[in-house]
Amino acid sequence: MSGGDNDVVLIKGNKRLDGRGFDELRDIKMEVSVLERAEGSAYIEWGKNRVIVGVYGPRELHPKFLQDPTRAMLRCVYNLAPFSVDERKKPGPDRRSVEISKVCAEALSSVVMLERFPNTVIDVYVEVLQADAGTRCAGLTAASLALADAGIPMKDLVAACSAGKVQGQIVVDLMKEEDNFGQCDLPMAIIPRKSEVVLLQMDGKLSRDEFKQAYKMAVDGCMKVYEMQKNTLLGSMNKFVGVEGGVENGD
Amino acid sequence: MLNVKDRDLVIPGQLLGSDLFYDINCFTENGSVFSCVEGMVRVDGKKVKMVPSNGVYLPKRDDVVIGVISDVLVGKWLVDINSPYLCAMRAEEVSRDAAKKDLSQFFKVGEIITAKVADVDEVYSCQLIKPWKVEAGLIIDVGPKRVPRVVGKQKSMLNMIRDKTGSRIIVGQNGKIWLKGGNVDLAVSTIKRIEKYAQTQGLTDQIAELLDKESAAAGGRFAREEPCSCGHEEEHAENDSF
Repeated sequence: MSGGDNDVVLIKGNKRLDGRGFDELRDIKMEVSVLERAEGSAYIEWGKNRVIVGVYGPRELHPKFLQDPTRAMLRCVYNLAPFSVDERKKPGPDRRSVEISKVCAEALSSVVMLERFPNTVIDVYVEVLQADAGTRCAGLTAASLALADAGIPMKDLVAACSAGKVQGQIVVDLMKEEDNFGQCDLPMAIIPRKSEVVLLQMDGKLSRDEFKQAYKMAVDGCMKVYEMQKNTLLGSMNKFVGVEGGVENGD
Repeated sequence: MLNVKDRDLVIPGQLLGSDLFYDINCFTENGSVFSCVEGMVRVDGKKVKMVPSNGVYLPKRDDVVIGVISDVLVGKWLVDINSPYLCAMRAEEVSRDAAKKDLSQFFKVGEIITAKVADVDEVYSCQLIKPWKVEAGLIIDVGPKRVPRVVGKQKSMLNMIRDKTGSRIIVGQNGKIWLKGGNVDLAVSTIKRIEKYAQTQGLTDQIAELLDKESAAAGGRFAREEPCSCGHEEEHAENDSF
């Protein structure tokens, strides 16, 4: 975010640069069980974002002194691929990805029933293959799908979406240009069943009323994302109950 | 009150109903029962039960498992049983004067055994008993949560596969299956198919049909070999699926 550059036109008429209305999300495509070796996995295409998530575990935690006999530990690694952004990103963890890993792990810990797996660790690897603003929301959304796919007990899914302020207008799900030249970005993740907030960050400035409006729009966005997550998971189980393909011909 | 029907697909956090009896794959909040895994819900009167589609193996008493010796210590072995937790096996299982002997003369690191889970505590540390060394044959992996369907009600599915392929099969509840002899290829492809379409209705009949067709194509039936002396082939913990 460069603090709101007013020379760049981001809103024309009532439409945004890519023709979306203020409360419209980008196109989202989700898929689960994309990796053979991981316990659970998910892939999400959110506008131009491409994120793949693998879940490993619960598995033994080493070093042993980190083990907690009352609960499992949930680790999250968020990583931007060197080729995911315009200018090559130096590989490896940096300040930003360490922070995002931490907030994502905390958001996911609030839904996963960690007390079911004492002394173990659940590893969530979020790999961003292509970034176009809102990668932590896409990553979290995919991560909760991957956890569900791994069969790890959870109280609910986590759905995430961002809102923000662009040219004085509150909009939902910012894309790269809006993120770079807008005035505020507000990524948020919720537990849809109870509308509890598990992640809320703000980069930029909003007045109290603007915040309320952005918050409401982000929650609405999350709910739309949740519906898509739900359909993806239900669709992935069609073979399991024999609705899709047949025992006879499917191999 | 119920919010779902029998055999509905549900996702984590979905409301199943209120005032119900529920199993470990559900949780309750303010009197309402929710699912905590993705899978299929089974309803029986006021009882609800989730059949999860995936998940890791957690050791349970009396399960027959197939494991790999991962360490030989003084007086015990550590066994990897395809679970987040290692299992211990005491040397007394194979020898009366174990303290005087080097345990690697019985089982070395990397060797495969089938054994029975004797004791599991609240943090899932467990003891194995009655080991039997697996020395030939083939081991395949299936999802641990789909093993009950490979065994079937009163072992119906398993016995059918044994009869029609002539293979000796030990099903580890931890998702490892040992096969030897007979038409192994057919047995493996059948088990893989059962795993994939685990909760299809009338699965046993469909698989029976398929097995008949394919074993005829493969040139008739194989004679079944004698089972091993360990008793693990007959000793599967009673399957808890519907």
